[in-house]
Amino acid sequence: MQNKRIDTFIMGMAIVFMGAAVFIMGLLPWLGRAHAMTVVTMDGKVVPAQPYTALEAKGRKVYIREGCWYCHSQYVRPVTGEDRRWGPPSQEGEYAYDVPHMFGTRRIGPDLTREGGRVADDWHFAHHFNPRMVVPDSIMPQFPWLYNGVDANGRPVPTEDAVALVAYIQKLGSNLGPWRKNFLYISGGSAIPVVPAAVQDGVEEGKKVFMRRCVGCHGETGDGKGPVAVFLATKPRIFKDGIFKFRSTPSGSIPTDGDLYRTITMGVRGTAMPNWHELTEEDRWFVIQYIKTFSDRFKEETPGDVIVIPPEAPNTPESVSRGKGLYDQMKCAECHGVDGTGNGPSASTLRDNWGNPVAPRNFTHGGTDMKSGPAPQDMYKAFSTGLDGTPMPSYADFLNPDQRWDLVHYVMSFGPPDTYLILSPQQAGDSYGH
Amino acid sequence: MAASHGLLENEPLVNGKLVKQWLFWGILWTMIFPLVGVIVSIKFNYPDWLGRTSWLTWGRIRPMHVNGVIFGAFSTTFFGLVFYMVPKLTGIRMVGEKMGFWCLWLWNIGVVLGSYSLMAGYQKGIEAGDYALWADVPLIIAFIVLTYMVIATIVQRKEKLLYVSLYYTAGAMVWTAINFPIGNILLPYWVPGVNNAALHGLYIHYIVGLWITPAGLALIYFFLPLACKNPLYSHKLSLVGFWSIALFYPFVGIHHYLYSPIPNWTQTIAIVTSMMLIIPVWTVTQNFFGTMMGNWKSLQESFVAKFCIMGSIFYFLGCFQGSTEALRGMQQLTHFTDFVISHSHLTIFGTFVVWTMAGTYYVWPRVTGHALWSKTLATWHFWLIVVSFSTMAGVLTLMGLLQGTMWMDSVEFVDTVVAMKPYWFIRTLSGIGMDIGILLFMINMYMTAVEPSPLPEMEREKGFVPVAAD
Repeated sequence: MQNKRIDTFIMGMAIVFMGAAVFIMGLLPWLGRAHAMTVVTMDGKVVPAQPYTALEAKGRKVYIREGCWYCHSQYVRPVTGEDRRWGPPSQEGEYAYDVPHMFGTRRIGPDLTREGGRVADDWHFAHHFNPRMVVPDSIMPQFPWLYNGVDANGRPVPTEDAVALVAYIQKLGSNLGPWRKNFLYISGGSAIPVVPAAVQDGVEEGKKVFMRRCVGCHGETGDGKGPVAVFLATKPRIFKDGIFKFRSTPSGSIPTDGDLYRTITMGVRGTAMPNWHELTEEDRWFVIQYIKTFSDRFKEETPGDVIVIPPEAPNTPESVSRGKGLYDQMKCAECHGVDGTGNGPSASTLRDNWGNPVAPRNFTHGGTDMKSGPAPQDMYKAFSTGLDGTPMPSYADFLNPDQRWDLVHYVMSFGPPDTYLILSPQQAGDSYGH
Repeated sequence: MAASHGLLENEPLVNGKLVKQWLFWGILWTMIFPLVGVIVSIKFNYPDWLGRTSWLTWGRIRPMHVNGVIFGAFSTTFFGLVFYMVPKLTGIRMVGEKMGFWCLWLWNIGVVLGSYSLMAGYQKGIEAGDYALWADVPLIIAFIVLTYMVIATIVQRKEKLLYVSLYYTAGAMVWTAINFPIGNILLPYWVPGVNNAALHGLYIHYIVGLWITPAGLALIYFFLPLACKNPLYSHKLSLVGFWSIALFYPFVGIHHYLYSPIPNWTQTIAIVTSMMLIIPVWTVTQNFFGTMMGNWKSLQESFVAKFCIMGSIFYFLGCFQGSTEALRGMQQLTHFTDFVISHSHLTIFGTFVVWTMAGTYYVWPRVTGHALWSKTLATWHFWLIVVSFSTMAGVLTLMGLLQGTMWMDSVEFVDTVVAMKPYWFIRTLSGIGMDIGILLFMINMYMTAVEPSPLPEMEREKGFVPVAAD
């Protein structure tokens, strides 16, 4: 009997300690207050977290099944500069629909909290098919069993599981709303780059960078035919032709080094071009020197005069309605559609200079989905320079600055207002002034 | 059967056949699951190796390694040793001995099914509870029956003293019988959001802190005094260790997720209790080295003592590392790096699996009735583990500090991965060294069982209890 009493006491105490811990640490934070279902956006608004769609939920199961979460964590800490690497720190409400959680414990690969929207689906399909095709130094496994045969263009066809997985990945971080517009600005994408003198003869260094980061899509000879290219709807830039979309120089001109620097830093939303803000500034300058060696244009021509972006005119209903008139007058709807969804009558016939189909931008997704950047100034610039190599012309000869701002304001009215990066005059001057 | 066979099958307390069978499977799993780890680690340097088959992809066999070492290698061997240790300490045979055989098969089925479920893609997504629920069922049933057997035996014991190993064994069984269903049934399906992470932090640390740690300590408190033929240094001190573990360990789990959106005050409690764990680590270490005092020469003679002491040194290092990496400042640097992997290997393998090896070196000759087949092999086993494992723990710690520093310095992510590749290669080599050691261990144990060289009479002590000095 004596035994039993002591033993019961010991067992009882052991269980009580554990029970107390489970209650205090595991259950009390949960029971003690409402379970957070909302997120505070970068603009300070409180918005509800969005549950997973059926497809995303299925993709999450694939993510668990393939063990993605052993190498990719899903929380950004507010320390050690993680918010500059990946995006804003994680909030409780962002996880409202996660059962089980995918926090992870080891970062053998990068954190994926903010992965959604970084690059287009195409990039992920190529990357899951064989990561080393995209990132030569990667140690991520390949997932050939998520593909089934090849289509007429030689592109491996993703299975339902692969499609679901990418849908889930693209959902990650999106509960926080259009945070990326601010992030691109903070991560230096908008600053006016000044070419340091030291990099002028960095071609050899630049080649090293190119062969490690760019070669998968743009190809060893800069012909845009790297092994990844077959996966991509928006084809990689063909460097040997020296034609670039995003410039601050007039239509038909080669870009400045600063223009290339800006594209490399910010990436191109909605395409497979990632933002390379993690690369050192030097490496970015070096690789630009190397990219310029592919085309003789950079030897023979000099960039045209950089266009001037004047301070933004007030975004008033009148300006928007004047913009609507210009939208009709300039026949924007021909390609971008009356409703701005990019489904104009001639949309399906559009080809770029190399004969690849191109889709006119769908304006209803707003600023975070604009290729040239999320600020109104970026749109103004696109109107002023055109996107060389595509059917998008320059309107510099047809619209005066005020009219261009009116048109910017009308285009902005198609998308959600919080997706545009509105800069103060001071910031705009720092980023776009001259 | 020859007279030299089945020594303990006729022994009044221990069911030698039961111990032998559990240990047989334990040794086999101790060979297999670390080997899976080597395959996993080779993929760091050769990611396409075995990479085009879905069931051999990194993400599926990594949990097979982790869960296999916990539930296969460590736990199976531990149960084998429990069936030797508990009767000796209680003075009665195990209650429900026959069920022990059934439990062995249930347990093995669980481990095999579980590993299959991971490779086939049915895993739950709960680290250290990854097996599919249907694979957990046999494990949970077996565990509950085993818990009943152990507790019932302890309660009906003849020995008056409740020796510290019994505290730890009973604690480990009861805690885990509660924890296992929480982690495998409640967690993956019911609790949403950051609370899922919080409870998972607790679950995963209950696996290491309320299962592996007390189970391993039960072993060494039993085998170390036997190995060095000294009484335990202090039984009271060992109980201070037990109660401080029981009090502090349940709280520490949240330290896996510092700087996460889990409420900050729970993170703080977890950090404080993690630091308090220095108390049990200190008492345990003091007790082990105190017990060895005056008889260090037993290190030369006894492989049991060798492995006990090796494990104790790794225990001290691993636990100290664990407490420090729970600090916020330290974790900024080390979290998400191989520093954490170094810690988990130092504790799970370097300490607890090594201690089960110590126990096996003691019990296996006694349940087979044969003297150890080869001291040369055992010596090789010992030194291969010492050298390879020290290399592994060292290189992983170093890598963690290096990569953590690179991250803090905003180095591009892939560049930090590239910088780790040579170290990962060294880690693989050290893992292969460890596995060769384990292979020698397995061969040695097999030959001991089949080679009829009888155990010397003097080592056949019966009903021995390691009495404490105070």
